[in-house]
Amino acid sequence: MPLNLRAPQAETREQRLGTITQWNGTAAQLARDSTATHGCDKGRDQGGRRLCEASTPFAQASMCAEHIAVTNATIIQESVVVQHAPIGCAASQSFTCRYYRDLAARRGWELEDPKAICSNLSEQDMVFGGIGKLEVAIRDAWSRHRPKVIFVAVSCATGIIGDDVEGAARALEAELGVIIVTLHCEGFRSRHWSSGWDVIEHGILRRLVSRDAPRQDDLINVIHLGGPDVFSPLLAPLGLRVNLVMGGSTLERLAEMSAAIATVTMCFVLSYLATGLEQEYGVPEIKAPLPYGLDATDAWLREIARVTGREDRVEAVIASERARIAPELERLRRALAGKKGFVAAGAAFAHGLIADLRELGVEVDSAFSFHHDPTTDSGDPRQDSLTHLVETWGDIPHFTVSPDQHFQAHAALQRARPDFVICRHSGSIAALTARMGIPVLPIFYSNDGLGYEGLLTIGRAILRILPRRRFCQDVAAHSRFPYQDWWLAQTSPYAPITGPV
Amino acid sequence: MSPFVPNTTATAPTCPDPGSLEQVRYACSLGALASVIAIPGAVPITHCGPGCATKQFHALSGLNAYQGGEFHVPSTNLGNREVIFGGAERLDELIAATLRVMKADLFVVLTGCIPGLIGDDVAHVVGQYRRRGVPIVLADTAGYRGNNFTGHETVVRAIIDQYLGADDGPREPGRVNVWSLLPYQNPFWRGDLTEIRRLLEGIGLGVNILFGPACAGIAEWQAIPRAQFNLVLSPWLGLEIARHLEETYRQPFLHVPIIPIGARASSSFLREVAAFAGLPGSPVETFIAREERDYYLYLRDFSAFYAGCASQYRLPSKLVVIGETAYNLAVTAFMIDQLGLVPGRQIVTENPPEAVRGLIHDQYHRLGVEDGESAGVAFVEDGYAAHRLVRETDFTGHDPIVFGSTWDGELARRLGAPLVEIGHPATDEVVLSRAYVGYRGALALIERTYTTVVRASTMA
Repeated sequence: MPLNLRAPQAETREQRLGTITQWNGTAAQLARDSTATHGCDKGRDQGGRRLCEASTPFAQASMCAEHIAVTNATIIQESVVVQHAPIGCAASQSFTCRYYRDLAARRGWELEDPKAICSNLSEQDMVFGGIGKLEVAIRDAWSRHRPKVIFVAVSCATGIIGDDVEGAARALEAELGVIIVTLHCEGFRSRHWSSGWDVIEHGILRRLVSRDAPRQDDLINVIHLGGPDVFSPLLAPLGLRVNLVMGGSTLERLAEMSAAIATVTMCFVLSYLATGLEQEYGVPEIKAPLPYGLDATDAWLREIARVTGREDRVEAVIASERARIAPELERLRRALAGKKGFVAAGAAFAHGLIADLRELGVEVDSAFSFHHDPTTDSGDPRQDSLTHLVETWGDIPHFTVSPDQHFQAHAALQRARPDFVICRHSGSIAALTARMGIPVLPIFYSNDGLGYEGLLTIGRAILRILPRRRFCQDVAAHSRFPYQDWWLAQTSPYAPITGPV
Repeated sequence: MSPFVPNTTATAPTCPDPGSLEQVRYACSLGALASVIAIPGAVPITHCGPGCATKQFHALSGLNAYQGGEFHVPSTNLGNREVIFGGAERLDELIAATLRVMKADLFVVLTGCIPGLIGDDVAHVVGQYRRRGVPIVLADTAGYRGNNFTGHETVVRAIIDQYLGADDGPREPGRVNVWSLLPYQNPFWRGDLTEIRRLLEGIGLGVNILFGPACAGIAEWQAIPRAQFNLVLSPWLGLEIARHLEETYRQPFLHVPIIPIGARASSSFLREVAAFAGLPGSPVETFIAREERDYYLYLRDFSAFYAGCASQYRLPSKLVVIGETAYNLAVTAFMIDQLGLVPGRQIVTENPPEAVRGLIHDQYHRLGVEDGESAGVAFVEDGYAAHRLVRETDFTGHDPIVFGSTWDGELARRLGAPLVEIGHPATDEVVLSRAYVGYRGALALIERTYTTVVRASTMA
């Protein structure tokens, strides 16, 4: 199904990809069931059954798509985000500010606060509508900061009361002469926060990509979650310039995406943009598995070289990179021998980190994925990162899909008893893990594990955190989670929760 | 026109409507889930969208001096299905599952925007559990109804009305309920409430501090009706609670708007409380004398730096204070009265109810009078407008210092002023038990302030 870029709203991942947020079993079974349900004609093993989502009556606070969409809009430079919402939605402004300043320091941008304004709706507005306040907020955004783009993000509240945000945006765009991009990211619309990526990428594809940029044969789009540029050192030897987008970008970089020779996505959770660039602007999407582990990185570089016509140079780059990291990789493998790791991250990102750990010689028999996309927007089996993981590195016997649920992660860790945890989202899982006496490596900058160098980055980081078990075990011995004893002893994340209290 | 019908049984005063906001310095009403987490043994249950609770708590805790806290909050994480068909059944299912999985002395159900807008009959669901003897109460904290300050009062009132209920039992002379700093919103609340408890116990009172590590848990809440009186130690937060307790349990209350920082303020505060409580004078004076002895030994030695390094390090002389009233007023008073700075620009950011603004204004007005520069106060929540006010302030001949939040970093740099983070958001502070109030807290505040000043000077 092609992406529908005519509508202001992006379709949710559940609609497009059949995304689920709850499941428990083996990785191989999940891969087979996903293929059977969502990838029938892709030449994969058809031995699966229909992908069936698990459920549990208990749930803990999660994240929403609005948070993802607004954060990633706010960190686009020379923009102002207007959150059309009661004030609570804007509570994430302080996080986004910290995040932007950290990114700016790492990427060499000017240190400044990103700009976001909340229309700050009250009970009155819930009764009479909030469009008047939205208009005030948009005018404030314009008069205060003269941005090149204003993003307008809706909220659960404005979605429910039915404010005509689209109409207000179009009218003020015409009046003020500034591009106004609407983000339809009501938190209730999707069960998974990663739909927020689709929303911001949808807005970018519709409004911010240049329709007439001349092709640049040495420019490659790299779509990433955010963090330092680890790609240029890998791709510059092929004669490619990296156009690093998402995770903070200038508007020029976003506009220029249509001029690139190809697009790679560093996490298929973000692949909406790459698929859209191929569909709308003819920029081919690289469809190799992600570069986690040596062989996958080789294959990824070869595919980039093939698509961009640089096959003559790629073998030399691969050989030189492999030789460069070999001694340190050996040292890390020796230091990590016999260790058991546990991965908690979102879908393709989790699959990549598992590959890294196995390449480093770390045992991984359990993993925790925040959601699962049975397919990607391209529908291409080469982007089936879970099947690739299982085929390359073998099964993961305990594979849990859960939207960052603390109680389920507790059970999964009780079962796995790893020497360390590596996780995305530094919040609940990291705190949980430490409190269980297990050292944890939260990946805040998501590019840390990529490519050849990523193996060294991750391996060294694990060695740095392992001694912190002394701190973790001390705290674990002196604190307790407010769960009932039967749940504290539980080792099955989807154990039935029924019966009388 | 939306189909929404507002809840007419308001339980807390709603704030004046302030218009669009940049650089937000508080959370919405649902942010009061942090107040529940601050009660040892209590667990919030949130009935709201999937990101609401996390956003509020992450802002108030993680982006606020990295406070941490027991955030594994049950939540209905409302989706399309509930928005269309109603969410009451899902809440019922979640509460049942919560009772099976989690252990708590008290559960507080907090509702967000969605159930209010779609008209869930949440009271019916929660009422069923309460009638069965489950310790559970309901607080309407829809985000459009106010901020985490008013949400806090809503939560406290829900616990009083629905959990404590009527109590005609005997009162315990010398026991006080303390209503002071807003937990989590103020990064130093844990240490401060511990220090406040220490001071009040020092003069012979029994203290229900009610929140944080210094609180004994739900037993303290159960003891609320038996206290002799309530102490509202803040400019306005807690006043509504105290009035309600006066009505419910016929408890008188003492309102002390300025949280004491330093010996002069702390000693006069303790004497005022002792007089109100009718405590015998001699033990009170003994405690004060011992505290003052320690405090002034440190100040005596600090004076070598404060007098001797004034020009070497450009010790600041004029104040900029941006933040919620409680700390804003307390720090302003200490810096002017104790350290001899002059008022500059004091901006209150949490949108206090209109009814208390005159009282707040009067408190500031008394400060700095002896130098002929009475302190003013502006009520501005929008960070952009607040910074414009500061930039329009005349600092000629003065070295300014900013007490504020992370949002004020750029402003401080432009002023060439050191920044001491005293409020949300605070991302350049890691705070555990540090206190800034009372006798000991004042010394920590001096240490942090002048370490910051010296570093700004030596590392520039």
